[in-house]
Amino acid sequence: MEIKDKLKILADAAKYDVSCSSSGSSRKNKADGIGNAAISGICHSWSDDGRCISLLKILLTNYCIYNCAYCINRASNDLPRAAFTPNEVAELTINFYRRNYIEGLFLSSAIMINPDHTMEQLLNTVKILRTEHNFNGYIHVKAIPGADSRLIHETGLYVDRMSVNIELPSNGGLKLLAPQKKKEEIIKPMSLITKQHQQSKEERRAFKSSPAFAPAGQSTQLIVGATQDHDFQILKLSEGLYNRFQLKRVYYSAYVPVGVHPNLPVLANPPTLREHRLYQADWLLRFYGFSADELLNERQPNFDVQLDPKCDWALNNFSLFPIEINKAEYHMLLRVPGIGVQSARRIIAARRLAPISYDGLKKIGVVLKRAKYFITCQGKYYSEVGLKDHLIRESLTVKPILSPSNQNEKQLSFFDVYKLKESIITGEL
Amino acid sequence: MIIFVFDNTFEGLLTAVYEAYYTNARPDRIVTEVYHQPNLVDAVKFIETDEVKSNKVYDAIVKKVSKEALRHVYHAFLSETVDAPTIIYRYLTIAFKMGQQVDHLLTNKHILEIHKISKKVTREKHRMLGLVRFQLIKEDLYYASIEPDHHIVGLLAPHFAKRMADQNWIIHDKKRDTAAIFDKSQWFIAPLQYKNEITNNNEEALYQELWKTYFKNIAIKERKNSKLQRSFMPTRYWKHLTEKS
Ligand code: SF4
Repeated sequence: MEIKDKLKILADAAKYDVSCSSSGSSRKNKADGIGNAAISGICHSWSDDGRCISLLKILLTNYCIYNCAYCINRASNDLPRAAFTPNEVAELTINFYRRNYIEGLFLSSAIMINPDHTMEQLLNTVKILRTEHNFNGYIHVKAIPGADSRLIHETGLYVDRMSVNIELPSNGGLKLLAPQKKKEEIIKPMSLITKQHQQSKEERRAFKSSPAFAPAGQSTQLIVGATQDHDFQILKLSEGLYNRFQLKRVYYSAYVPVGVHPNLPVLANPPTLREHRLYQADWLLRFYGFSADELLNERQPNFDVQLDPKCDWALNNFSLFPIEINKAEYHMLLRVPGIGVQSARRIIAARRLAPISYDGLKKIGVVLKRAKYFITCQGKYYSEVGLKDHLIRESLTVKPILSPSNQNEKQLSFFDVYKLKESIITGEL
Repeated sequence: MIIFVFDNTFEGLLTAVYEAYYTNARPDRIVTEVYHQPNLVDAVKFIETDEVKSNKVYDAIVKKVSKEALRHVYHAFLSETVDAPTIIYRYLTIAFKMGQQVDHLLTNKHILEIHKISKKVTREKHRMLGLVRFQLIKEDLYYASIEPDHHIVGLLAPHFAKRMADQNWIIHDKKRDTAAIFDKSQWFIAPLQYKNEITNNNEEALYQELWKTYFKNIAIKERKNSKLQRSFMPTRYWKHLTEKS
């Protein structure tokens, strides 16, 4: 098969993978080498769906011995298959990189022959890139659950980031939809990566020359909406992953219906708005000092899709508000809807010089449309509906754009969702 | 109105700031000779670029204000917008009074103005780090053409000197007939007029083809969103993008 045809199939098979980030590593170029990593990542293009292209994101192969119900590559599915050799992937990467098409490689794979064989091929690929091509750009590789830990360990010495897909939010879900996968097999490489990553960090503090193990850390991905799990369970899981395994990111991927299966839900559309709310809540966990228990509980286990999680929290705890912008502490400023990390910092810096006026807040970048209900500025409260939480709730609720084809389908258009995502990325929640 | 006109170099601008400081007739505007349009009403003073004076201002910015302030000033200058020099001048007037703190004065109009244009330049630079497309035009020489809004080729070069350290490359700003040239050890800026169309050899053609293939197949067709794509990657850049031309 020609390389172009393989690329077609194996890029297509990787396109649903959500993580494409190239950030978190500051790997330097070496003498006579090519490439380095940019700590904050670089986008090289934007595909026709508006997503950033940073890495060459491909599967090594889409031949799979497993049969996970939610996956397009499952063994029982009839579709064109292909497999790259490690050399082919290395050549593609290096030649794309030299032309500045990409930041590096994101290599994942279905399970061909067995987990060890697959992991070996992944290892060979990154080894060729690092040692034969002297390539120092960004590499993210998926660790294959069930593969020998030695292979996973060795791979970690060559890459910037390694990740294991957790796939589904609960063990029950796995049993139902991916019976060949065991929770333990997923957790095992995860904790191995965490351990090695930390150990190498410590060693490098003492000896600068000791090898780095996946310096950009690990991330994972899970599918939302293929099982019955609530947002609360999912968020608790993420919280655990951040705390226990020091994960850098958990990616949520709205389930895209790929086939009929008795254990799969029937959905007209991927639950993108739900996915979006989870990303917002995830952001609140990582940067705003919230815990999962504050945001959801057994009584309210799912987010209100029409209200962002931070507004929802603030309204449920309305007795804490309004707070005075010129006095409140940093951690409390962060909890105000419409004030992001950047604007909170700016408020602290600016008010040292002079009290901030309401107009000044706008210049600082506070989203007053949301913030005004929760703050006073030099003692004055600016909301036009007064301190009435039910009226505020009403004004903050997103009026969904009803899709003309199906008026019952409450969904934001993809454009809005992605735009919202951008605002998450800049962090002004 | 009193207008200072300088020669469109950064040193010229700093000299103008120096002169403004030591004169009684403070300028209302500072413009480059490129944008200057003489008329009968304005009092115009042509500034002669002076290395000693400009160095003094340069050092004063770093020492009395901050490196960050210098970056804002330089990036605003590279924006090549008409009002940039005046905005820089007003900013520096405040900065020399306030010192380090100046960039925290986020409710001041003049500070916000310079932040806004310096951010535009920084943003275009960052975007262009990704959008530069090299072509292998002959053995061991990679060439890229760009037409950025702002004069950023000198800001791009250090990044590529580190990254593409083992290849010879040229980044050509066709709008300004200027290029950054790298010879595997150093980069420098030189005037360059090169209008010829480039013909690709087989290897180059293959990888361009493969990149286009990848670009097409990585998109989720059901989620096509040209508006969003254009908002990140404005069409004015497409001419120089392999995947879009
Ligand atoms: S193992 Fe991975 S590629 Fe194979 S069917 Fe399951 S999810 Fe898909």
